[in-house]
Amino acid sequence: MILGAARNLARHRLRNGLAVLGIAVAAALLLDMVMLAGGMERSFERMLLSRGYQIRLAPKGTLPFDTEATFRGAASLSARLRADPRISAAGAVLGGALFTTIHDSLLPLAGLGVEPEGQGLYEVEQGADLGPVDTTGIVIGATVAKVTGWRPGDTVRVTAGTDPQITRAASERRLVVRGVAHWLYEARGQRTVGIALPLMRAMLGTAGDRASIMMVKVVRDEAVEAVASDIRRLAPDVEVNSVTTLVARFRTRLTYFRQLSLILGTISLFVGILLVTTLLTITVNERLGEIATLRAIGVSRGGIVRRVVAEGALLTLAGNAIGLLLGLATARYLDRILTSLPGLPAAISFFVPERGVVVRAAAALLVAGSIAGAWPAWRAARAPIAATLREEAT
Amino acid sequence: MLRVLAAMLLQTAPPPLAIEERLARALDLTVGDTVRVRQEPGAPGLLMVVGAIYAPRADPATVLRSEYHARFHLSDLAGLLGLPDRIDRAGVRLAPGVSPDSAARRLDRLAVGFRVRPSAEIASESSRTFLVVSRFHRAIGVISIVASAIFLLCIMLLKVEERRLDAAVMRMIGVRRRTVFAALLLEACLVALLGAALGIGLASLSTAAVNAYYGHRFETDLRFALLTPGITLFGALLSLGLGVVAGGIAAARLVRTRPLLLWRRG
Repeated sequence: MILGAARNLARHRLRNGLAVLGIAVAAALLLDMVMLAGGMERSFERMLLSRGYQIRLAPKGTLPFDTEATFRGAASLSARLRADPRISAAGAVLGGALFTTIHDSLLPLAGLGVEPEGQGLYEVEQGADLGPVDTTGIVIGATVAKVTGWRPGDTVRVTAGTDPQITRAASERRLVVRGVAHWLYEARGQRTVGIALPLMRAMLGTAGDRASIMMVKVVRDEAVEAVASDIRRLAPDVEVNSVTTLVARFRTRLTYFRQLSLILGTISLFVGILLVTTLLTITVNERLGEIATLRAIGVSRGGIVRRVVAEGALLTLAGNAIGLLLGLATARYLDRILTSLPGLPAAISFFVPERGVVVRAAAALLVAGSIAGAWPAWRAARAPIAATLREEAT
Repeated sequence: MLRVLAAMLLQTAPPPLAIEERLARALDLTVGDTVRVRQEPGAPGLLMVVGAIYAPRADPATVLRSEYHARFHLSDLAGLLGLPDRIDRAGVRLAPGVSPDSAARRLDRLAVGFRVRPSAEIASESSRTFLVVSRFHRAIGVISIVASAIFLLCIMLLKVEERRLDAAVMRMIGVRRRTVFAALLLEACLVALLGAALGIGLASLSTAAVNAYYGHRFETDLRFALLTPGITLFGALLSLGLGVVAGGIAAARLVRTRPLLLWRRG
């Protein structure tokens, strides 16, 4: 039957070739849109969980690092959280602008004050990490290392609180580069450096134990929501977000892309169905005489239906195979475009080619293509044998 | 006496702030209402009176964030935040004829702690997001055009092939090949034009639906989809061009085939 269907399709190479190409482009677009619909969320979730910290605390009404706002009582909160046996690590982070001078030019740096014993922001790749109460060390990102030429062991000058009135920095420190780290949430081209939290507070002149965010690692994943809920009760003035909450809020902000992928995915599926239906309808019309002869010599209606549906499935299968490769190639290109959005962490991807996603998109189109052949197949099977043969004879 | 009383009242009256319409609606506030504004929960904050409710200019950069905005007098906000005499940014209007680039360079050299940039540079940087999204739309547009072009080619090919019996009859009664070709091509063009007209109608409807949906969702009068005359013309010309190409290829194949063979295949 499959062989027969393939032979029938080979009779009209040009139009069937065009149809396969059309289905391939539709399949590619469908695959891209399925990847886009869920890829961003998965990629965001993976990035958030890359160091295993499942909860983020931020100033009330804000998302982590969405504004420059800070919250009070970070040290006491951090200590109380660490005392909770369900929590394996907790650390506060304070963000602020730091500067250094390179070739007489002031170079702004994205400074993060961290508690090294409970940080989920970076992984040291070269050299060492900051000590727990390190007042003279600094950890730099790869971009900073490239721009400044700093290496582990170098002593560098870092300033903060530059004041235009007095034309000099309010705070200046000579720090030793402890290591070069991979900053997990760093945007492309961002110059991130990390120093110990008390040093950061001193350099920025931040009064009290304030923090921009706090990250919490829960021992058991199943306990995350319960711990988050307890922290909300413990610190009602702080916004407590589990990764699930953050992903949900991220999803709201990227509604546009999800809706676009839904619309375009539906259109490409529709185009694929329309193409297969049109082609098979015309093919069946052309072969009504042949189909009537087959029926006359004893081929059952089911047999005719199976043959026509098999032709539709074969067309879709061929289109799917080409479309898969085309879709993966275009996804890489489209991902390069979207990941160049300013301020987006470099770890985020919009198109994530996972096996499940690819299989889902291909299966959807294959099923749709096979169903698309059902209408022409039904028409072919219902054709009156005698009348059709008479018409063919005249 | 009255003057002194008025002065005292003015002195103690809470400072005004302006809030955007959405915030006023969400909190059910009207002009004259007194509100307490805090830097963070638990802080004493400042009593302020709603002095104005304004409709912010539609801004594509903030529309997806759904944040509420309020405007303060600089000194009130600085006092509230505990940051007297500090600002995030300042605008400078130059005298006519002064180059923004050279003025920015000169001002930048004055002191550390701030960076001076011409407005054009800031505008270019803040529009980067939209440039990226626009590039993405263009890429998706190209894929859609390729898909629809192949679809059109396929349909036109089938449409012309359907006429092979008519073509065979015309050839057998003596109609010239060129005339048959022209007739088939003309038919293909008409079908393509009709399809283009229907497509433009459909695009107009979907554009209106998209703008109505997102406008309502984000409470903005921004337009999310635009069907410009240029896009309409491009769509119509592309459809016509593809119709001509596909119709031409199929018609050429038909007129080259012997009429008896066409008749048998029909």
